[in-house]
Amino acid sequence: MTLQGPGRGHERPLGGRVARLSLVLALVYCGLTLGAGYWQVYRADDLSHDPTDAGMIAAARSVVRGRILDRDGHVLATSRLDAAGEPYRVYADASLSAPIGYASRLYGSAGLEAAYASELLGTGGDDPASRALAKFRPRTGRGDDLQTSLSLSLQKLAVSLLGSDRGAVVALDPRTGDVLAMASTPTYDASGIANPATSRAAFAAARNDPGQPLLDRAIQGRYVPGSVFKIVTAIAGLSSGAITPATTFPQQPAAETTGLLVDGYRVRDGHHLFTGSEVLDFTRATEVSCNIWYALAGLRTGGAGMDEAARRLGFGAPLPFDLPTAASQLTNSGGPLPGGFADDVELANAAYGQGEVLVTPLQMALVAATVANGGVEPQPRLVTAFVSPSGAVRDVAGGTLGRVLSQGDAGAITTAMVQAVEGADGQRFTTGAQVPGVTVAGKTGTAQLGGSGEPHSWFIGFAPAEAPTIAIAVIVEQGGHGGSRAAPLAGQMIAAFLAAKP
Amino acid sequence: MDPLTLAVWAIRLAFLASLYLFLALVVRALLRDIRAASRDPAGALGRLVVIASASLPTAGSVFPLDAVTTLGRDLGSSVVLDDPFSSARHAVLTYRGRGWYVEDLGSTNGTLVNGVPVAGALPLGFGDELQIGDVRMRLERGLR
Amino acid sequence: MTAATLPGFPRPIVRRRELGLLLAVAAALALGNLSLGLTRAGSLTVVDPAGLLIYLGALVAVHLALVTAGRRVDEVLLPTVGLLGGIGLLLAERLPQDLVVQRVGSTVLGLASLQLVWLILALVIAAVVAITVRSDRWLRLYKYTWAAAGLGLLALTFVLGTDVNGTRLTLDFGPVSGQPSELLKVILVVFFAAYLAENRVLLADARVRVVGRLTVPPAPYLLPAGLMLALALGIVVIQKDLGAALLFYAVFLCLFYLATGSKVDVALGIGLFLVGFVLLALVFPHVRDRVATWLDPWSDPLGTGFQTIQALHAFARGGLLGTGLGAGLPTIGGQLPIPAVHTDFPLAALGEELGMAGVLAILGCYLVVVARGLRIAAAAADDVRALLCAGLALVIGVQAAIIAAGNLKLIPLTGITLPFISYGGSSLLVNGLIVGLLLAFSDRGPLPPREPRRARRPAGGPG
Repeated sequence: MTLQGPGRGHERPLGGRVARLSLVLALVYCGLTLGAGYWQVYRADDLSHDPTDAGMIAAARSVVRGRILDRDGHVLATSRLDAAGEPYRVYADASLSAPIGYASRLYGSAGLEAAYASELLGTGGDDPASRALAKFRPRTGRGDDLQTSLSLSLQKLAVSLLGSDRGAVVALDPRTGDVLAMASTPTYDASGIANPATSRAAFAAARNDPGQPLLDRAIQGRYVPGSVFKIVTAIAGLSSGAITPATTFPQQPAAETTGLLVDGYRVRDGHHLFTGSEVLDFTRATEVSCNIWYALAGLRTGGAGMDEAARRLGFGAPLPFDLPTAASQLTNSGGPLPGGFADDVELANAAYGQGEVLVTPLQMALVAATVANGGVEPQPRLVTAFVSPSGAVRDVAGGTLGRVLSQGDAGAITTAMVQAVEGADGQRFTTGAQVPGVTVAGKTGTAQLGGSGEPHSWFIGFAPAEAPTIAIAVIVEQGGHGGSRAAPLAGQMIAAFLAAKP
Repeated sequence: MDPLTLAVWAIRLAFLASLYLFLALVVRALLRDIRAASRDPAGALGRLVVIASASLPTAGSVFPLDAVTTLGRDLGSSVVLDDPFSSARHAVLTYRGRGWYVEDLGSTNGTLVNGVPVAGALPLGFGDELQIGDVRMRLERGLR
Repeated sequence: MTAATLPGFPRPIVRRRELGLLLAVAAALALGNLSLGLTRAGSLTVVDPAGLLIYLGALVAVHLALVTAGRRVDEVLLPTVGLLGGIGLLLAERLPQDLVVQRVGSTVLGLASLQLVWLILALVIAAVVAITVRSDRWLRLYKYTWAAAGLGLLALTFVLGTDVNGTRLTLDFGPVSGQPSELLKVILVVFFAAYLAENRVLLADARVRVVGRLTVPPAPYLLPAGLMLALALGIVVIQKDLGAALLFYAVFLCLFYLATGSKVDVALGIGLFLVGFVLLALVFPHVRDRVATWLDPWSDPLGTGFQTIQALHAFARGGLLGTGLGAGLPTIGGQLPIPAVHTDFPLAALGEELGMAGVLAILGCYLVVVARGLRIAAAAADDVRALLCAGLALVIGVQAAIIAAGNLKLIPLTGITLPFISYGGSSLLVNGLIVGLLLAFSDRGPLPPREPRRARRPAGGPG
């Protein structure tokens, strides 16, 4: 190795080492570049739109959120400025707390306020492209307005009819899936939470209320359906061909008194003794809500058939909707029988709405809407359009969730449901659901919970039966028989809706 | 997009562009340096070989010579001598016309060529010995 | 033969390239200032024209001083460093001025004014050092004295220093506080360069076999290196300053490699440091916490991970082109989203406002400084000078890399400053000193004479 002495422009190994070291440093800086790229390009979108991001929080505090409007143009949510000049939200009525939710500085947001925060704040939509462009738009300080399908009057009516009971009402247009009313009681004071002066107290009250008002029962509540589930069984049976409208079961009349033996378990009925020893067909069984007939129909359809129809209706997964929904279930899956049932007893019980079946009110409203819409299930939606501050309207496309059963079968079920409401015997069960001058189709349910508590009161239906414009599902928790609370409530909702239309 | 937003973004982008313009100019300067360095082979005119030394530069070192080569203790010298008897700017070797010349720049201890003190500018031939302080060097032919 | 035809040392030399680059820097800084003004005022205004002009004037003054002094020193360093300092000034201008306040008589100086003052002082130091330093004997001969002074300074800081943010780095002298660890960088580099240059033969040749083909330098010469490792790890533990430890050790390893060319030794050094660090992390809770926060800041988003998370969010908000100077860093209730942004996270703030494009440009400038410094080292007259220049250049380049990596969560966060951009008087002054020394050592000697009328014919020539 040559010794190095002073010199200029000398060939020396040091030059080579310096070159290598420079290369290493250049690589280190390349690494820094990759690091910068990772955070500034790759993770840029999800980090900067995280609700805890300072930019999002600052925008939320300074940007005036767009308004939320109902289908008639009434303002459901708007912003006011507080003493410091920062905006806060005000809501038209406490009945809107379930679908609209709240937006507050301390407690974040919920409902539509949370789901459409980006649009309401004007930070761009869900796709990275519109967000990138939003940066170049001049800051107007205002977000887009949401045009919803809700009807303020129907929503208020639903909540007032539910009164002090806990429950939910979902009313929608079966042709388009537009949600007209989505009520959950008890409600909470969303305006109180949004107002900085009363935020803490209002939120604490909502959180500590034993009635759990912050739970949106319409889309997150899972209940035993009782007899309203028979419509699902009907859909499964008819579309699989296991039953027809003329199907009868010879053992059915005797089983009314002695009970139906399934695998050693006795299925009891008895709440329509007035039919005596009449052999019931599909329409009559629906009219008098015969558990025996439906249990036999369910057994004949089989677990696989039930499961397949249920899936087509949307069971087993959250429903596609503007707000997050809970999934309805046919059974706790894992059972050995097809469809996941544990045994025939469970299948029989599920067929008339007991067993392990759990449904959300939205799901049942969609069941009614599917029958009303000739067998095509509409996609439910709350938001129909965005209106920018400059007035530009961006429509949200509606859709369907597919054909669930044939038009003919839907017609047969409609006939049965009309009979259940308007028929002489049917009226005994569905008192209050009738609307003078209108043919209402529907079905009540009395969901037994076991134990000593009152059952849930259910009703699903649609009207007018010839050309339905509204489909509805009502549940009153522990409200007694279906006819006690749910049916009259539904009747009043339908009457109000049809009366308001010209 | 309104004109103000357009202007704001135009200037922001222009600022970023100007940063890269600066870097481009720097890179161009660096490349020019590298090219210049490789174009001028050092030592074509002559070399200075250190025969004996008590300090830096160590004996055996070889220095390529430019047309003007300064010797001394100053950092700015072409050949830096760390000898205590060397002045900051001690002497200068120049190639003029066809030959080499050495000139003492008014140093404290003087410069010796083949043992003879240098006065003014002295012609220097290949093989001649130059002594500054305790460092003895010899002028040799350049590499072609 | 007279000296008239010789290029004399004191004759002024034109530095055209430097002037051109300075013009580019002036244009860039003017555009930046304009951009900030547009964002703030909504109309075409320049924010603080006086500050910008003073700064540019200082740069030109240094340029003229170098021209007058007639030393042919590097022409790229000053403009690059000037650009970095200018960007730091823009950032200081853009941040709220009350982050740092100093009273001088009856006037109150805010962040930007103080940064300008320190920057100008740094430029003055750089100019003075570049012009007057003509010999390196004072560095070379007294290396052990320097080492002792450095360690003494370190001990003084440890004993008398005040705790700031859990690290003991600052010495208070009445109204002004300084960070001696900054000066320590230069002192240690001087020591390393001199020591390694002197012993490079022994370190490289006289090896002792340890295991199989693995050889290490003999023990007496390994001792200072071992002490260095201990010092680095010690600083981590006692002064809780991971950044300084990493910097010293990295520069030491680089110089060691340059001196001996032994990649094996460097690999060993890295390995030993990592092992030592892991052991420290297992034993000492505060080291462990730092590593835990680095690995997953979201485990404590409102406490230890807060700064890191906010910095990453800032980078994300910047994206490719940034939000524009003055338009980023959304305040919540009047508070900046990133705490201590002017000292610890300037790159995050610049990342948000200038985007990835800006960050890359800034990193490019640091790379230029380091590359230039290493080139000066390669062309240096002798070993000590070469290692010294390399070490000084590496101090700037490695420090920038460490703090950038910390901001980007590539390595745990450290408390060291981004050279020329972070706010910090000691940091700026010492970096000015480093640039001055690099310039001084880059002297290329006298200008070559103009080509004589009679061209040097290739056929003719000596002999």
